Amino acid sequence: MRRVIAQTRKELTQIIRDWRTLTLALVLPLILLVLNGSAISLTASDLPIIVQDFDDSTTSREFVDAFRASITFHVVQWATDKQPEYAFTSGEAYAALIIPANFGRDILRDSGSHVQMLIDASDANTAKLVAAYSGQITRAYNRQTADVMQFQPVQTSIRLWYNPGRSSKKFYGPGIFVLGISMFPPLLAALAMAKEGEQQTILQVFVSNVSASEFLLGKIIAFVVVALAECILGMVLLFTYFGVGLAGDPSAFIVATVLYAFCVASFGTMVGAAIPHQAAAMQAVALGGFLLVFLLSGLLFPIENIPAGLRWLSRFVWGRYYIEIVRDALLQGGGWPATWYKVLIIGVIGSVFYGLAWRTMRRMELKY
Amino acid sequence: MASFLRQFFSRRVRALMRKEFNQIKRDRRLAISLILPPTLQLLLFGSALSADVTNLRLGIVDDSRTPESRELIGVLTESKSFRLAGYFFSSAELGTSINHGDLDAGIVIPFDYSRNLQRGRVTTVQVLLNAMNANTAAIGQGYVEGVIQAYNNQLREMIPAARGRPGEPSSTALPDISGSTVTTEMISIQGAHQAQAAPVLLHPAFLYNPGLKDSWFIVTGVFGLLLILNSSLVASGAMVKEREAGTIEQLLMSPASTSEIIIAKVMPLFFLLCGMAVIAIVVIKVGFGAPFHGNILLVLGGAALCVLSGISIGTVISTFSRSAQQALMTSFFVNPPLATLSGAFNPVEAMPKWLQPLTLVNPIYHFATIVRGNLLKGSGLTDLWPHFLGLLAITLVLFSLSMWRFRKQLV
Repeated sequence: MRRVIAQTRKELTQIIRDWRTLTLALVLPLILLVLNGSAISLTASDLPIIVQDFDDSTTSREFVDAFRASITFHVVQWATDKQPEYAFTSGEAYAALIIPANFGRDILRDSGSHVQMLIDASDANTAKLVAAYSGQITRAYNRQTADVMQFQPVQTSIRLWYNPGRSSKKFYGPGIFVLGISMFPPLLAALAMAKEGEQQTILQVFVSNVSASEFLLGKIIAFVVVALAECILGMVLLFTYFGVGLAGDPSAFIVATVLYAFCVASFGTMVGAAIPHQAAAMQAVALGGFLLVFLLSGLLFPIENIPAGLRWLSRFVWGRYYIEIVRDALLQGGGWPATWYKVLIIGVIGSVFYGLAWRTMRRMELKY
Repeated sequence: MASFLRQFFSRRVRALMRKEFNQIKRDRRLAISLILPPTLQLLLFGSALSADVTNLRLGIVDDSRTPESRELIGVLTESKSFRLAGYFFSSAELGTSINHGDLDAGIVIPFDYSRNLQRGRVTTVQVLLNAMNANTAAIGQGYVEGVIQAYNNQLREMIPAARGRPGEPSSTALPDISGSTVTTEMISIQGAHQAQAAPVLLHPAFLYNPGLKDSWFIVTGVFGLLLILNSSLVASGAMVKEREAGTIEQLLMSPASTSEIIIAKVMPLFFLLCGMAVIAIVVIKVGFGAPFHGNILLVLGGAALCVLSGISIGTVISTFSRSAQQALMTSFFVNPPLATLSGAFNPVEAMPKWLQPLTLVNPIYHFATIVRGNLLKGSGLTDLWPHFLGLLAITLVLFSLSMWRFRKQLV
C-alpha cells in the first residue's frame, strides 16, 4: 500500500510542476464547459423572419404583431415587391410570412383566410421548430380572436417535466461536463504512461520491487484524483452558471462518479501502456475519449436517431452511461432504481480497462 | 503582383517544393491518413448526428376506456413521431416510468372524456413531456398540439350533422384509424358554439429541403470542420518536424526568405488537402444525396480558401510549439472551441448573443455558410462574398502572424 501511495504522490507532483498539464487538467475543461455548454443549443430564438403583408389592414397588422411579440422570431424589413427567396439565399431570414390581400375582410366574414409560411429548410431541425412555433402562435391568435365561436372539444394541458423552461443549457451542460471528464484525465494518464515508455524510465520500475498492479494502481489513483478535482470544479460551475441542482438522492451519482473516474483513468493508462509514444497515444485517446463520446453517447442528439448498424456500438461507449446518470441526478432525480445497472456497467468497463492495462504491463516486462 | 509571382516561381521555391513533394511521396501513411479518416468521419457524422424527433415513447393512462379515448390514442400514435410504449393504471405509475427514463411522453385521458365529448363539453387531456432535451420537447409539443388541433377540426365537422335536432341524441360517425367507422352517440352542441373553420389557416411550406433531411445540414457543416482540423493538424505536423529534427536552422540559414520557406512548405500540402476536399464533395453528393443547386466552382474556391486558413492555423500553432507532442497539445486548446463556435452542428442563432460575434473569426462558420448557401439554396457570389472575404482575411492575418513568429522560434 505504501508503494502505491508513493507512486501516486510522484505522479501528482509531476502534474503540478508542469503548467501545461495543469491547465489542461483543470482550467481547460472549465473553459470548454462554459463555452460549449452555452454555445450548443438547437432551439434557436430570435430568428429573423420577413413579412409580406399584401392586405395591410388592421387585422393583418394585429396578426403580424402576434409574431412580432414572440421571442422566437424577430421581423426584419422586407419590401413587398421583392421575392422572399432572395431573403433566404442571402441568409437574411429563415422564414417568410405571406398574408394575402383581403385577409382582414375574410376574417371578418368568418370565411377563414389562408396564410402561407415559407420556411428555409436547409436546416431541417430549425425548420421544424419554426413550423411548430408559428403553428402555436397562429392557434393562440385564433383562440383569442374567436374565443366563443371556436369550439375546441379536446383541450390539452401540457406539462413539461424536469426542464420546464426548455433551457438547452441544462441539457447540454451536464453532457459537456461528462465530455470533459472523458477527455482530459485519460489524456494526461496516457501521456504520463507513454512518457515512461518513451523515456525508458519504466525499466526502473521493472527492476524495483513495485509489482505491476501496484504501479498501475498508483498511477490510476493519481488520475482518479485529477478527474475528481475536475469533477468538483465542474459541479460548482453546473450549480452556479448552468443553474441545475441535485434533483434527488445523489448517492448513485456519487458512486458512479468515483467509478467513472476510475474507468477513464484506467482507459488512459491502458492506452499509454499499449502505445509508448506520446503523440500517437494522444491521438488514440482523442479518438476514444472524444470522438466516441461525442458521437455515440447521446450527448448532442438522441441515440435512437443513430442508424441501427451503428447504434449497437453505443452500448460499449462508457460515456453514454455516465451522461445518462448525470442527467438523471441533476434533472430527473430517478436515483438508484433508474440507474443501478448503468453504475454497474461503468464499473465493469473500468475493470476491463484495468485488466487490459495490467496484461499489457506484464507483456511489456517480458519484451524488455 | 508581378514581383510576388516572380518570387512564387523562383528557383529556390521550386527546389524547396520538390523536396516537400518527395517527402510526402515517401510518406505513404500521410496520404492514406488524409483520405481514409475524413471520408469515414464524414459518413459517420452525417449518419450518426441527427436531431430528428421520431419514435418518442408514449405511455398512456386511459381512465375513460371508451371508443373515443382509444380513437384519440390512435390519432396520436399513427404518426411517426410517437410510438405506443405501454398502458399504465395510474398517473403515478406513468410518472415513475417517465422518471426512470423509460418514456419520453405520457398522456392522461380523464374518466369523463367520452361523456364530456358526447355532451358537447370541453374536455381536457393532460400531456406530460420529458423536457430535459429542450429541442425534443419543443418539437414534441408542436406535434401533440398539431395532432389535437386536426382532431378537433375533424370532430367539429361531425357536429353540424347533429345540430338540426338540438337536445336529441344522434348518431355521428367518427372515422377511426383502421378505416372502419365507430358509431358514437353524440348530442348536439347547444348555445353559441358555431362550427366553423379557424380564422387563420397557416400553411407552412419547406423550401430547399422538403423532405426535411437532417443529414444535409450536418454534413455540410462537418465538411468545413474536417477541412480545418485535418489541414491544421497536417500543417503543424510538417512544420514542427523540421524543428524536432533540428533541420530548421539549415533552412533559415539558406538564402531562401521566410516567406519562401513557408510557401514551399505549404503548397504541396495545399494540393493534397484540396484533393481531400474533392473526395469529401463526392461523398456529400453520392453518400447523402445532397442537391447541388449552385455553382460547384464557388464551393471549390471556398474549400481552397478554407484549406489555406486551416494550414495557416497549423503553422501558427507550430511556431508556438517545440515538439509534435506540444503542437498536438496546443491543438487541444484551439480545436474544440473552433468546432463548437462554428455553427457546424447547430444554427448560430441558437447560441447566446455574447458568443455569436465570435463565429465571425471562425473559418468553419464562413465555409459552412458558403457550402450550405450554394449547394442547398443556390446562392451566388453576390450573396456569399462577405464570407469569402472573411476566409481570406483570416488566412492573411494568420499567415502574417506565422511569418513574423517563424524567425523568432529559434531561442
